[in-house]
Formats: sequence, C-alpha cells, structure tokens
Amino acid sequence: MNCKQAETLVAAYADGEVDALRNYSIKKHLLGCGGCATSYQSMLELRARIRAEVPYFVASPALQARVRATIGAVRASVPPQSRPTGDRWRWLSGGVLAGCTASVFAWMLGTTVLAWRADEDFAVAAVATHVRATLGDHLIEVASSDRHTVKPWLSARLDYSPPVQDLANEGFTLIGGRLDYFERRPVATLVYRYRLHTIDVFVRPETSRAPTPELRAVRGFNVAHASGPSMDWLAVSDAEPAVLSAFVQRLAREDVSH
Amino acid sequence: MSDHTRFEELVLPHLNAAYNLARWLTRDVDDAEDVVQDACVRALKYASSLNGAGARAWFLTIVRHAFYDWCKRNRPAEIARDDGTAIETAVDPAAVDPEQAFLRNAESKALADAVAALPLAYREVLILRELEELSYKEIARIADIPIGTVMSRLARARGLLQRSPLLHAAN
Repeated sequence: MNCKQAETLVAAYADGEVDALRNYSIKKHLLGCGGCATSYQSMLELRARIRAEVPYFVASPALQARVRATIGAVRASVPPQSRPTGDRWRWLSGGVLAGCTASVFAWMLGTTVLAWRADEDFAVAAVATHVRATLGDHLIEVASSDRHTVKPWLSARLDYSPPVQDLANEGFTLIGGRLDYFERRPVATLVYRYRLHTIDVFVRPETSRAPTPELRAVRGFNVAHASGPSMDWLAVSDAEPAVLSAFVQRLAREDVSH
Repeated sequence: MSDHTRFEELVLPHLNAAYNLARWLTRDVDDAEDVVQDACVRALKYASSLNGAGARAWFLTIVRHAFYDWCKRNRPAEIARDDGTAIETAVDPAAVDPEQAFLRNAESKALADAVAALPLAYREVLILRELEELSYKEIARIADIPIGTVMSRLARARGLLQRSPLLHAAN
C-alpha cells in the first residue's frame, strides 16, 4: 500500500470499518511510514476532541410535550370505525370464526416456541423496563457514584447482595441503582453512564437455566448477557454492541472480588 | 400493536437523537424543533412499516427527509450550494460570522463552530458517525449514499475540520 491509498483509508481504519485484508496492509504501512502514522495519530486526536467537545443537543421538555400533544391530536382525529347495522351480525360471526382459528393457531405456535420464549422473555422485559425507566423519572432510586452507597441500599431491599463496581476510569460511570421486578421477584438494577448512553445492568443470582444468547438487539436496543461466578448479568443500552458486550463481561468476570 | 403504541414504544425513546440531528442540520433551535415535529408526524404515519430492530436509524432517516423537505421550502440556496461534490471550502459562508468566531476564545466552542460550519453533506455524515456512533452501513442507509461515499465524505469532513480556519483562529 502506498501513501495515497493509505490516506483515503486512514479514517475508516480509525473507525474500525476496514475489512481484514486492508486492515493488515494499512497497519503495515503505518508502521513503516512516519508521515501517515502522524496523520493517523492526529485523526485519533480529532475524533477524541469531537466526542468530548461537540455538544449533543437534547430535546427540550417543551418539544417533548409538543410532540406528545401532536400525536394525541392525530390519534383523536382518526375517525372511529363504524359499520352499517345490517352488517353487524355477519361481521360478528366472521370475527368469532377468525378468533377461533387464531386461538388454535396461537396455541400450536405457542407450544412449539415455548422453550425458546423462556429466555427471550427476560431480555424483552429488560428492554421494556429500560425504556420505561429512561422515559420517566424512575431511572434512579439511589443516586450515587459511590459503590459503597449503592451496594448497601440494594442489599437492604433484596435477599442477595449484588456486586457493585465503579468503572469510571474505563468510561463507565456509576450513577446509581434501583429495584425492578421480573417474574415477581425484585431485581437489582445498576445504572451507568457511558458517553451519552445510559446503561441499565440487571443483576440476579446465577440461575441454572439454559444459557441466554450473549448479545442481541431488541427494539433497536442492544442486550448483552454474561454469567459470572455468583451472578447473572444483563446489560441494556443503545450503546454500541461491542462496547456493551465487553462491559457486561468485565462486570461478570470480577463479580466475586467486590 | 397499534401504530400509536408502536410509535410511543419504539420511536419516542429516540427523540433526543432526532433532535440532535435536526439541530446540527438546521443549526437553529426553533427550526430543529419544527423539523422534529414534522418527522414525528411522518413516523407515526409509517409506524406500521417499522419492525423494531434499528428503530433509531429508521427514525433518523425520516428526520433527514423531513429536514431536506423543510430546507427546500426555507433555504433552497443551501441545498443548491451543497450537493456534496467538489466542495473545497471548509466553511459554509451561511454558517457563522468569522469575526465573531475570532472573538471567542474557548477552544471547544471553536470546534463546535467548525463542525457547524461544515458543508451540509459532510456535516450530516460526521454527526451520524461521531455523535450517534452509527456504522458506515447504517449511515449509508440513512443518507441514501453508497458506503464508499460515506467513507470519503467522513474523511473529507475530518480533513476540513483539521484545516478549519475557525479552529486555528482560536488557538
């Protein structure tokens, strides 16, 4: 690879968006070429500065209210579905028939996918909880970046004591904790901030269930799972999958040492 | 799931992302709110086509369309000037008053100004990459351009920032 080729690829290389083959040749080129290595370095510096200094604008409460009002108005203006009276019985009997077919079909489908659903449910419930928490004011019940405050608060309300780690020096700042309910059991939720993302981490005592997939997307949010020696860890966020996955594995790895 | 529930559960959580993009595209608080408002109405209309995965990218695509339609009505000159080809200047003349930029000494303000001053085609890919942390593939889909173009525009955007007179004025 020559400097001209490297020049166009350096930014994509810094973004981790270059395929394996070109990744190797650009790496080799950067090792041997001082000029390109310098421009790569300044590219990284610029990226760090952009992320630190360029503001991320958030919607004002006024805009949120305005959007909700508009949506409400659109909903209200949708005309109610009315049918001529003469058609009602025909429509009703059709509905009953369709209903029966649907039930039978749902039952058949239900039995086949029941096993698969079991661990699907927790991830879906976790995402729903994350969305509710970030939308409303229930995000944090104990606000503290000190794990020695968050941990006792949670332990006092649960029959287990979740390990709490502060990884602020790795970019994951602990901002607090709260209690959530899954399968009629209280669960400890740790809330972290990573850049502009909120990460909810649900911590449960290790269960003996079938292993949950390590990483998946539910409704556009990423869900990462890891099992530690004593606890089961599930993180939900809109942060990048790779970041989230590494983070939850990091938490699980050290869950007994704290 | 009804379209309203779908909208509330899948789209509304990404309102900040929508506003941030609109704010950087319009460079104005009120205009950004108008664009987001319009995008929400459109998103509600098309909510049935949303399957859950990638709701944020889906919503941002709509925001971008809403912005370009708004721009055609309100600032047609900006699109004409800004077709993304062969733009050699680092500063969009409509963006900032350079005199004022000289007066500001906060470095971080200077970088934000330099981003705001980037031509539209470069600004949008930069915001989607650096602030929304989307992949090239997602950006390509949102901006409706090939991945190679995403790559070259991003490289160009960063090059323009590094050489931006606004940035050097503050240093």
